[in-house]
Amino acid sequence: MQFGLFFELSVPRPFTDGIERAVYERSLEQVRLADALGFDTVWAVEHHFLEEYSHCSAPEIFLTACAMQTTRIRVGHGAVVCVPAMNHPVRVAERAAVLDIVSGGRLELGTARSSTWTELGGFMVDPDTTKKTWDEYVRVLPKMWTQERFAWDGVSFSMPERSILPKPVQRPHPPLWVTVTSPGTELDAADRGIGCLGVAAAGFAEQERRTREYHRRIQGCEPVSSVVNDRVATLNFLYCHEDARVAAATGMRMLGLFSFFNANLLPTREAFPTRAYQSLGALAPPPGAERGSPGDPRGIPEGIAIGDPARIVEAIARWESIGVDAINFIVNAVETIPQAEVLASLRLFAAEVMPRFRKRA
Amino acid sequence: MLFGTADLETLAADAPRMEQLDTEALVLPGAAVLQVAFEMPASARECLLPAGLHPTDPPLASIVVWRCAESPLGAFALAQLRVSCRSGLRPRAFLTGAVIDDAAAGQALAARWGFRHRVGRVELSRQYDTVTAAVALDGRTILAVALRDPDPLGPHDVQYTASMHLAHTPRGLRLVQVDPTFAVERAERGRAALTAFDGAAWGDARIAPVHPVSASIARADVTLPRLRYLCRPDLWAFEGTEGV
Repeated sequence: MQFGLFFELSVPRPFTDGIERAVYERSLEQVRLADALGFDTVWAVEHHFLEEYSHCSAPEIFLTACAMQTTRIRVGHGAVVCVPAMNHPVRVAERAAVLDIVSGGRLELGTARSSTWTELGGFMVDPDTTKKTWDEYVRVLPKMWTQERFAWDGVSFSMPERSILPKPVQRPHPPLWVTVTSPGTELDAADRGIGCLGVAAAGFAEQERRTREYHRRIQGCEPVSSVVNDRVATLNFLYCHEDARVAAATGMRMLGLFSFFNANLLPTREAFPTRAYQSLGALAPPPGAERGSPGDPRGIPEGIAIGDPARIVEAIARWESIGVDAINFIVNAVETIPQAEVLASLRLFAAEVMPRFRKRA
Repeated sequence: MLFGTADLETLAADAPRMEQLDTEALVLPGAAVLQVAFEMPASARECLLPAGLHPTDPPLASIVVWRCAESPLGAFALAQLRVSCRSGLRPRAFLTGAVIDDAAAGQALAARWGFRHRVGRVELSRQYDTVTAAVALDGRTILAVALRDPDPLGPHDVQYTASMHLAHTPRGLRLVQVDPTFAVERAERGRAALTAFDGAAWGDARIAPVHPVSASIARADVTLPRLRYLCRPDLWAFEGTEGV
């Protein structure tokens, strides 16, 4: 089991001078500590225009800072939005290669197509086209990284023969992932032989079903590259404290606020009727989601890594048992948890929880 | 975290009065449902909503027209102007105003579901490649909108969010949650085009549709269900939600 941090870089109102910088600096401090503690990956999303929820519009730059301040942790550019109005595929390939070089071959590249009207509408993107453009991007990126010269006559872009430079350090290229919010995208991942980067909180039963189907389906995939990434990662929330009551109070405050801001996004489907977005794409556990065991008095949704170390070990063991390879944690939301407590939570997790799963590995 | 900032006293001034909350469901079979969404300027984000609701970003106005050829209330056409919002974690739309072409039907909808409305002319017509809607009050056009070049969608591809209607109820001034169900038989989507709009006539002069997003037309059995929830307009939903 691998563990990662997952950053939206949420910034609370009021937007006073220095607040964004403070969020970025605290996040970098968390990454440095995570690197020292043995976490495996730091992921940063790409979002645009999402006030408070995410001020992470240039993740490749944040991740470059992460790479420069760490020595071991991998950097997850995830996910880059694969629509031409936001990112030309050549620029995606170029930036990813540079990040792979400067990080010393530590890049993981996630792909996505954006799910809010706020973002797609802001770039005047036709939501009907995003699945097509995403599909084209994941097929051309490996070619751009591995072919000496590249030419393309496609749907979302075309170009004459050029040498796309530089090439990434990892051979043949950095691992490819796709973010999975809508049910069914895990099958798209499997069919293309790319990793399943879950970013929607699902319960055990739903995740087990999706993971089983993903692993079954990827056996017969037509990979977009010469290598298959068959890993499944899920999104979770982490607040670890020796006192279960404190953990629940603090962690659930974070989860509640994250859920609130997530629910306040404007999903594409709400503004623009389309076949291309079948679900609202919420990241947080939905209201009324499966709760923990009947004996759980604190209402923590099942599988969420909020609690004392014993509870979190139990939850992660369950994730492991259903075939999840990695868990990426949101460790704060709109700065609701003071930095010192976030760092203490990471240290306690690394001391009491992480070793249980390292031994098994 | 953003909350609505509209003045409740002003909003309450012409809110409808509901004598009771225990109403039976109403089915409107085979209704034509036009929904046109526009972005509004950020300046209209919070000011149109009561404090119990949260704005979306960008703020979105939706024009919804129902033409019901047959219903227990008789034939009527109803045009609504709604502003997208959130009630707690739930996607909702706040009704700022409506126009109906049948006074008796309007009175029933106001008394049973809190539809704030006035009586006027509401027209919804379909040509091969265009659907048009026009609304007039006292002979003056306050809305002219069109859906152009419709393309078929699946019945489940259109989404209608529940409404929050501000009304004087037996429990006081409340946001009445009205969550109709839509059994969609066919649906199409097209380009939206707005040629006339008077924000003041729809409840607030600051309602300004500036950027067209989408337009859909559907044929559906619409059911206005029994009321389930009320919300205090001055408290956020986590504190102000009441079961009926």
